[in-house]
Amino acid sequence: MTSHHTNPQSNVAPRQIPRFARVDVIGGALMIFIAALIWFGALALDGGTLVRIGSGALPRGLAVLLFLAGAVVLVQGLLQSNDQAERVYLAVRPAAIVLGAIVLFGLFIRGGDFGLFSTPQLGLMIVGPLTVFIAGSATPEMELKSLIVLSFGLTAAMLLIFMDLLSVTIPVFPKFIQDPLTFAIGIDTLVRIAYVAYGGLAAALYVFFFGLPEMRRG
Amino acid sequence: MADLFHNLYVGFAAILSVQNVFLCFVGCLLGTLIGVLPGIGPLATIAILMPLTYNAEPIGSLIMLAGIYYGSQYGGSTTAILVNMPGETSSLVTTFDGHAMAKQGRAGKALGIAAIGSFIAGTFATFVIAAIAIPLSKLALSFTAGNYFALMVLGLALAIVLAGGSVIKAVCTLIIGIVMALIGADQITAEPRLTFGLQILYDGFDVAIVSMGLFGIAEILRNLEFPEQKPFVGTVTGSLLPDRNDIKQSAGAIARGSVLGSIIGIIPGNGATLSSFVSYALEKALSKQPERFGKGAIEGVAGPESANNAAAQTTFIPLLTLGLPSTAVMALVGGAMTLHGVVPGPQVITKHPDLFWGVVSSMWVGNLMLVVINLPLIGIWVKFLKVPYHLLFPTIVLFCCIGIYSVNSRPSDVLEVAAFGAVGYVLFKLRFELAPLLLGLVLGAMLEDNLRRGLILSNGNVWTFLSEPLTLVLLLAALLALGAALVPSLSKGREILVDED
Repeated sequence: MTSHHTNPQSNVAPRQIPRFARVDVIGGALMIFIAALIWFGALALDGGTLVRIGSGALPRGLAVLLFLAGAVVLVQGLLQSNDQAERVYLAVRPAAIVLGAIVLFGLFIRGGDFGLFSTPQLGLMIVGPLTVFIAGSATPEMELKSLIVLSFGLTAAMLLIFMDLLSVTIPVFPKFIQDPLTFAIGIDTLVRIAYVAYGGLAAALYVFFFGLPEMRRG
Repeated sequence: MADLFHNLYVGFAAILSVQNVFLCFVGCLLGTLIGVLPGIGPLATIAILMPLTYNAEPIGSLIMLAGIYYGSQYGGSTTAILVNMPGETSSLVTTFDGHAMAKQGRAGKALGIAAIGSFIAGTFATFVIAAIAIPLSKLALSFTAGNYFALMVLGLALAIVLAGGSVIKAVCTLIIGIVMALIGADQITAEPRLTFGLQILYDGFDVAIVSMGLFGIAEILRNLEFPEQKPFVGTVTGSLLPDRNDIKQSAGAIARGSVLGSIIGIIPGNGATLSSFVSYALEKALSKQPERFGKGAIEGVAGPESANNAAAQTTFIPLLTLGLPSTAVMALVGGAMTLHGVVPGPQVITKHPDLFWGVVSSMWVGNLMLVVINLPLIGIWVKFLKVPYHLLFPTIVLFCCIGIYSVNSRPSDVLEVAAFGAVGYVLFKLRFELAPLLLGLVLGAMLEDNLRRGLILSNGNVWTFLSEPLTLVLLLAALLALGAALVPSLSKGREILVDED
């Protein structure tokens, strides 16, 4: 909303932008689709009377308004001249990778029944590095070595911040490991061992990949 | 007047515990830390950090939130001065002269005067809030449901018109936001509405989840489109404290900025941005040497920075006294208050005076923190500016995942964040403004409730409902504002007024 980048497509020589690929055409059509969705979703609801308006009244009214506003956007898009128009451009690959990483976190952090399928609990020790690794590979600038170090280092840092400092409960290990271990040594000790281990691993990998850090100042 | 000081005393008594000051400190620190990162504005910062505040008790969490808010605002200014990349539109003006000063080796002074000006403006705005909150909330208590409904419509209309971008598209996202507020159990009958048979929709949408997706994750997706830029980061050189000459040059600008910002901030819409632009224009017009502007004039930093901070503070007024958030950030703050069982509105001031005055005085403490803590730490923030984005964004992704999971321990919340990240990205690429959606989501339920009650009170007669003088005036004003923005010739003028470039 704030940053105003130039569209990567716009420095290409001006070309005819087909109507169906225009921002306003697709945007308007999307609004009309959403309006229809709201309308049909609200059909079964009671509209009520003016004295006692029912639960369906406002959704239906808003659906009509959204339909009208969407139609205006759509028509604007169809009628605008070629240089006013803007082509829709989505960077699908990086977006899909980052969103995939988040979905993976959601599915496996505690596991559970998601209607169509159910997933096991893997805990932050496994899901954390995976999420960072997958998300990080969304950009070509990432180097494999620093990404691996980052994966373990960040997981350790998050365990320290959330579990030790903020005392939030997050599953740490897969269920079959966590339950007996918690019983044996207590969750606090377990978490501390976990982040010390991953922090140490990250530090060791850093030294292995990049050598000892030189002490530079400034 | 004595009342005012008594009230502020109540506030300070409520917040001045070691724990609360510590929370404010941590909030300020974290807010600056995230806000200073280029491309992440205050809205994204608050959305990302909000889960952290949930663990504290109501007053502590609101104080922490206030700290995050001011920290992120100041972080944005730091980025504007040192990197010439405004994290948000309200610090865009700061780049004009602030970055010019940095290039001349006077970055320290620019950062110093921004913090000092912000602090003075913040102090002034705190008094403004304290002075007008009680009369305004008393007025609000006399409103009928119809008045309230009309006031909300006017507020939303102004927020759309003054926020920039396409008005008709902003109307679309606003409607979607309102409908999202209606999804789930009906307030009166508890029957499921628009849930399409999905259990997850029955609970409705959580503001924290929606905003983290729309503003936090979507922002990352947007930034990933572009090859990483290696920005020029100015080094902080010279003294941070302005000398006698600097103070002489900027004193007037700070004073005018404080007053201007306090007034503009109350109006719905992007008050912080608007006030910084107006302040810059005013200083340039009043200056004896307007040619210095854009080339490192210190009053070109002092004025807008004071104005946007004063405005950032007075935007709390509609939320705290009327219960109507006027910007997306305020919608988030309102959501956080509701979560702690304090529904923002005119009753807060009488029912929870410690909370209300606590929030007001925590604003002042937050501003003080900025001067006392952030300025000495400026060297550290500069280091953060140099962290490459490819290391940064996986960190934010993991932080968001754990943060939102930690709130309710519900895996489905994380999936929802991903979904709203996708929605936010697509809508942004289709050039839809997202702030109205959040406003609609926060206000939707209240809007329907007041409409329902208003119609019951007028026996279902639309004309009785509309013909009440105040309702009619407010609704006509809303219509006028929207109509004016939609008429092409007038909307040109509006673009010049609010458009960032």
